[in-house]
Order: sequence, then C-alpha cells, then structure tokens
Amino acid sequence: MSSLQTIQEQMLQAVLAERAAKLRSIRSDDIAGAEDRLSIYHHGYRVRLRDALKNEFTGLQCMAGRRFHALLDTYVKAHPSEHYNIRWYGADLPSFLDETQPWCDEPQLAEMAYVDWAVSTAFDAEDERSMGMADLSAVPAHAWANLRLSMQKHLRVLTVTHNVDAFRRAADSGAKRPHLRRFVHARRILVWRKETTIHYRTLDRDEWPVLNAALGGETFAAMCERLADHHDESTAMSRMVQLLQRWLETGLIQGWTTD
Amino acid sequence: MIDPAGLVSHASPAYLSDKTIAMTPATSSQPLPYLGYGLGLRVDHYEALLANPGNVEWLEVVSENYMVDGGLPLVWLDRFRERFPLVMHGVSLSIGSTDPLDEDYLARLAALAKRVEPAWVSDHLCWTGVQGINLHDLMPLPYTEEALDHVVSRVLRVQDTLKRRILLENVSSYVSFADSQLTEWEFLAAVAERADCLILLDVNNVHVSAQNHGFSSLDYLRGIPASRVQQFHLAGFEQGEHLIIDTHDAPVSNAVWDLYIEAVRRFGRVSTMIERDDNFPPLFELMAELDHARTLAEPLLQDAA
Repeated sequence: MSSLQTIQEQMLQAVLAERAAKLRSIRSDDIAGAEDRLSIYHHGYRVRLRDALKNEFTGLQCMAGRRFHALLDTYVKAHPSEHYNIRWYGADLPSFLDETQPWCDEPQLAEMAYVDWAVSTAFDAEDERSMGMADLSAVPAHAWANLRLSMQKHLRVLTVTHNVDAFRRAADSGAKRPHLRRFVHARRILVWRKETTIHYRTLDRDEWPVLNAALGGETFAAMCERLADHHDESTAMSRMVQLLQRWLETGLIQGWTTD
Repeated sequence: MIDPAGLVSHASPAYLSDKTIAMTPATSSQPLPYLGYGLGLRVDHYEALLANPGNVEWLEVVSENYMVDGGLPLVWLDRFRERFPLVMHGVSLSIGSTDPLDEDYLARLAALAKRVEPAWVSDHLCWTGVQGINLHDLMPLPYTEEALDHVVSRVLRVQDTLKRRILLENVSSYVSFADSQLTEWEFLAAVAERADCLILLDVNNVHVSAQNHGFSSLDYLRGIPASRVQQFHLAGFEQGEHLIIDTHDAPVSNAVWDLYIEAVRRFGRVSTMIERDDNFPPLFELMAELDHARTLAEPLLQDAA
C-alpha cells in the first residue's frame, strides 16, 4: 500500500471513529496539537451530514421534534456517505427507520421519511412531458378499450397508517405541529411534480386500484374493472372519466399507447 | 500582468523540471477570458440577482447542484446562463484520492459542461474520500513526490475527458503531514506546471492555512506562477480558539483584503469573486463587497497599465 493511500485510509477512519483520535502522520506544533487539528474534520463531518438530512427531511423533523437530532446521529453513525453528492445521503434513512430500534417501534417515523424522500427525489427528477386533455382526444373511439397510460416516471405512491402528510404540510407552511392520528385503514399518498412544483395528496379510496392498474401498464378496460368494488355499472364510467380528468389536469400522465 | 518577471521565485526546482508533459490537442487551449467581478450563485439570491444584477459581471455555479436529471435547478441554471457568463466549480472531483476516479461523476460533469458551456471548470486540490466513502470535506494532501505524481496523472485524465484545462483551488487546512516534502505552494505550482492546469487562488484560504500552519502568506503568493492564476476567491472565516476555521459564512476580513491587494499586485488582472457558502446576507451586502474589491484592485491595475 502506498504511503498516500495509508494516510488517506487512516485519516478516513479517524474521522469516522466515534472520538477524534491522534494520528502519527499529522504534525503537532505550537499553534495546535494533532488531536485538536483532526477534531475539526471529525466535527465538521457530522455537522455537514446532519445539515444535509435536515434539508431533505423537514416533515420528519416536524414529527420527531426534540428527538430529531438523536435520530440523525444514529443514522450518521451507522451510515457513512457513499455518494459524491451529499444531497443523496438521506436515501437510506427511511428504510433505516423502518428496520432499526427504537425508531421502528413508531412506524409513523419511517412513513414520514418515505414521503419526505419522495418529495426530495421528485424535485430534481428527469423532466417529463405532461399530457393534456387534447392529447387524449386523439385516441380513436375503437382503441379506448386497449388504451394504456404512461404515468410520470418519478411519481410515487406511499402507504401510510398515520396522518404524515399533515406534518409535511405543517413543515412546508410553518404551521403549528399537528397531532398524530392513526388511521383505521391504511391510506396512500401520491407524490409527484408538475413542471417545477411538487405536489402530494391522499388518494381517494377507489382511486388507488385504478392508478395501480395504470402504473402496472394495464388497459383502460382493466382499469375500469378496478372500480367495480366501489361503483356499480351506472356510475363506474363517469367516475373513470372524473379520475382521468383529474390526472390530466394535475400532470400525472405523460403519454399513451394502444395495442 | 503587473509583475510577471518576479512571480516565480524558484529557478526551475527539480519537482517542476524532471517530468515532460505531453499535452494532448484536446486540452491545450486558448487563454481563458477575463470576466471581471462576480459572485458564487446561491439559491437565496436567485430572484434578487435576476431582478437586479447590479455590479455582478459573472457567476460561479456549484457543479454538483446542477448535476441532476431535471426540475427547478436546471430551470434556474438556464435563466442565469442567458444573463451572465458562468463558470463551474465542483466540490467532489476528489482529484487527490487514491480511489479510482468516479467515472459516473466525470460523465455527469462533462454533460453539464456541455450544457452550460462555462468559461472554465474548477475543483479543489484535495481528496474528499477513499474506500468508497465520501467525507464531503476538502481533505488536504501530504505534499510528497508520490502525491504529486498521483494528482498530476489524474488531472491529465480529467482534462482529457473534459477536453479543457481545469482550475484547481487551494483549500483551507487544519492538518499538515509529517511526510510532506514540499510546501503547499510548491506542490500547487508543481501540479499546475506539470499537468498544465490553472489555479483558482482562494485568498481567504491562503490566509487561513498560513495562520493555522505558521507560514507566510506572502511567501505563498511568491511561490505561485502568475501565468497559471485564472481566478480569485474572496471569503470570510471564523476565529477559533487556536485555529482559524474556514466557514465562508462571514464578510471578507481586513487581513484577507490586505492579502488581496498583494495578490493583485503580484498576479494582475484576475477574475475575482466573493464566495459565501452560509449565513447569506441580502444580495446588496455581497455587491458592496464586490465594489470594495473593485475599489482596491482597479487603481493598482491602472497604475500598472
């Protein structure tokens, strides 16, 4: 191993270690000792990673309150950064909270973190064209049954059992921290970007099966069938049209194909 | 240039002369333009800067902030590109790391440079991680012949990929290494000469490192070849108990303004920029600092002319 490599690996380990160590390769002098000098890098590493997480997980900060810093510290300790861009450091925080004691005992924390991260990734996801009503009117009448929609690639649907969107909304608007509520039945939150604005909303109960079918590349006919659990034949089609209009207006659809 | 003859005080030391650089046609290029007085572009100032560019003649963008797939960052970038000359400044090239160069990073950097067409591309003379782990800090190198060979070979690789000469910036540091055989300025000068790259001289960082390691900041300036200096950074720091901490979150200090005057005397007309990374003041305060830089530099440059 070269001496340059040795120095870099020793310094890396010293920065990652729980306490700043003293390295023989680092000079001490009258101005400061090697340990004090190294401690600046040791301290700075943790501050930078925590700051990066604070920027991305504003809903989680609102929800966790005073425990937020302890939560970040455990993640920073367990997860060195492996990406050149610090903006991606939080990618594993949601699953970390999902799997790690004591945080996994409060599933709302992981749920919130998944929503925060979906917002964050939608922010600078690839630009995609949004289809309008006029585009869909070009579909020939006979082709509707086999129509397949292409939804925005960055769109995310997250299952939640608590009112996590209220916490994110409070963080975004600076409003007072809401009370935590647990739902009787799980709900789904949709996160997407229209042009440069990020949106999130709770999906209607009958909307999720239809959207899931669209995301799975199923035909328009199959999507309509997914409404059968909630609607009879007389109302299913009007509801389907209503959903399509909403998806088009809010920029969820980027294209369509027919067989 | 004011005093080109007196700039290189060392007569071809061994670490400069014992290697032959074979420049590829792709990287041997025309002199880069002089841009005047600029600012580091930060989100906090986006709207104010477009509404009133004032005395800001050019902008430096942090490359990584725009190495993304789409969305708002690139929308803003395009708006600024229409209004200002831009340069790109990276923090993650990790030119001194013993890990392999990150090919994905380089490809994205090259793609961004193609989109922006910046006047130049810069990063730091440092390493940011090793063993696949990123410390997200500008870690100093030991100034050894081994590190010099290593950095030079990587700069040549990067310049070949980007098809342009890059600028390397001196970093503020808090540690120095027992193994070091060269001073920091000897090392920086040697990298620039041997790799035929340019220098982004951060005047604040020279001051911070000089105070932290007890060397003369004027010796540092004397050791840098003038023909290599393409850009100045000016920034602020925080005084710690024993060491100065390079925070880039405060106004430029009097000591750094004094050193800037020396740098202008030594290097002449160099594109100059205020770099603020945190604790952002209203835009007019940074514009006032830019005016101050102009007020200090222009009489010296006119006298020299």
